[in-house]
Amino acid sequence: MTKIKLKYGLFVGLLALLSFTLPVKKQVTIWMIGDSTMCQYDSSRFPLTGWGMPFSEYFDSSVAIKNEARGGRSTRTFISENRWQPIVDNLKEGDYVFIQFGHNDEAKSYPDRYTTPEDYKKNLIRFITESKDKNAIPVLITPVSRRKFDAAGNAVETHEVYSKIVRDVAGEYKVSLIDLDQMSIQLLQKFGEKNSALLFMQLEPGENPDYPLGINDNTHFDTYGARHIAELVLQGIKKNSLELQDRIIENKKKN
Amino acid sequence: MKKIKYKTSLNICLLSTIVLTLFAFQQKQKITVYLIGDSTMADKEVIAYPETGWGMPFHYFFDSTVTVDNRAKNGRSTRTFIEEGRWQPVVNNLHEGDYVLIQFGHNDEVPTKRSYTKPVDFTANLEKFVTESRSKNAIPVLITPVARRKFDSTGKIEETHAEYTQLVKDVAKKLNVPLIDLDMESQELVQQFGPDDSKYLYNYLNPGENPHYPGGHADDTHFSELGARKMAEIVLNDIEKLNLGLASHIRVVHQKEKK
Repeated sequence: MTKIKLKYGLFVGLLALLSFTLPVKKQVTIWMIGDSTMCQYDSSRFPLTGWGMPFSEYFDSSVAIKNEARGGRSTRTFISENRWQPIVDNLKEGDYVFIQFGHNDEAKSYPDRYTTPEDYKKNLIRFITESKDKNAIPVLITPVSRRKFDAAGNAVETHEVYSKIVRDVAGEYKVSLIDLDQMSIQLLQKFGEKNSALLFMQLEPGENPDYPLGINDNTHFDTYGARHIAELVLQGIKKNSLELQDRIIENKKKN
Repeated sequence: MKKIKYKTSLNICLLSTIVLTLFAFQQKQKITVYLIGDSTMADKEVIAYPETGWGMPFHYFFDSTVTVDNRAKNGRSTRTFIEEGRWQPVVNNLHEGDYVLIQFGHNDEVPTKRSYTKPVDFTANLEKFVTESRSKNAIPVLITPVARRKFDSTGKIEETHAEYTQLVKDVAKKLNVPLIDLDMESQELVQQFGPDDSKYLYNYLNPGENPHYPGGHADDTHFSELGARKMAEIVLNDIEKLNLGLASHIRVVHQKEKK
């Protein structure tokens, strides 16, 4: 009896010790799938920035980021172009799949990318179930807001139908949800109609050599806007208490 | 008559070939643009993001013939930059046609800082940067220190580098160096944004907003991505206004007209 107890105690003690000495954090990959608001851009298009770019700068070395988002893609074309299957094939247990689509799915006037609400829902469910099949963790993200204000100066919803579908799917399938649409509407409201332009690709003619004619874009972000959106997603990770939050680098010195 | 015509056209052909070849060679010369200065210009470590030095976006706007080598370092004055052996390697690497963009002042002008540099030494150090660059046939460009965010009670921006900015201008005039008056131009920009909105240009963060600054941050000297990009745009526009050869290395983008 005592012998067994001793053995047991030793074993537990050893385990406790090991848990301190062994690297606690398993390597994980965040796979990002989505559209132009999330994707990586070449520096030739600077300051055009997808929020996935600054997002990748806030994790410790146990996290790898694979930003597979592509401009112009809807859930439907992302799948039909065979961009999803290779990700499924590479998913490992504990990996994350951050899913943000909607801008192109909802664009009825672009038949090449348009996805009906029913198909949009089906595709999201496919991303979720196939991620879970590989013991990866899907995270649904509602499409980040466009910059649109009403006459009273209120930031208005620009993805009504498709954001609701994301929320519904998250509820039905018990998937972590980051309601980036809502969060970014609040961010735009905080900046106000005029200053929220600073978050987007808005350049005067002659201001920036890469856009000699200027640009007036209320969908795509500049470096400043992309970082603010990335901050919202990082906050969303914490709100959901995802294990991933322990891998975000907090600079304690700057407290 | 015919023969002469033939000869002339041959000569013209030859001449234009030579001119074109020269032109092509000139176009292809690879140059390095060295940035020397302080934290407002420097590349940042990731942990300091979103603090951004204006040298960071400045990298992006040139064609493939230009390498931007940002040697600026946080906290440095002209004196400590030299004392720490940061200048000599730049001189050693300089080639004909390279540029040296020089922006100091923030750390030179504060008597309580370890990096303090007396006005007379600041001038001497700037002159050293200029003459040693020129001795290697490189092209120095003097830049006055970029503005801090400081407003008086009426909402008018205040000059925070008066003495040292003037010293930069004096050296530029004395040695006939191209000058970018970034102090004045950035003050105009900050004024245009006004006392409240100018915070967007600097590294202002709310508590809990950004993991790198969990307690929030309020910095009236160092830039956000937005401010850094705007400052870089000022410098780029001045490079064009000054007709520096470097202007021909700024990437030409044929932007599609958007509806």
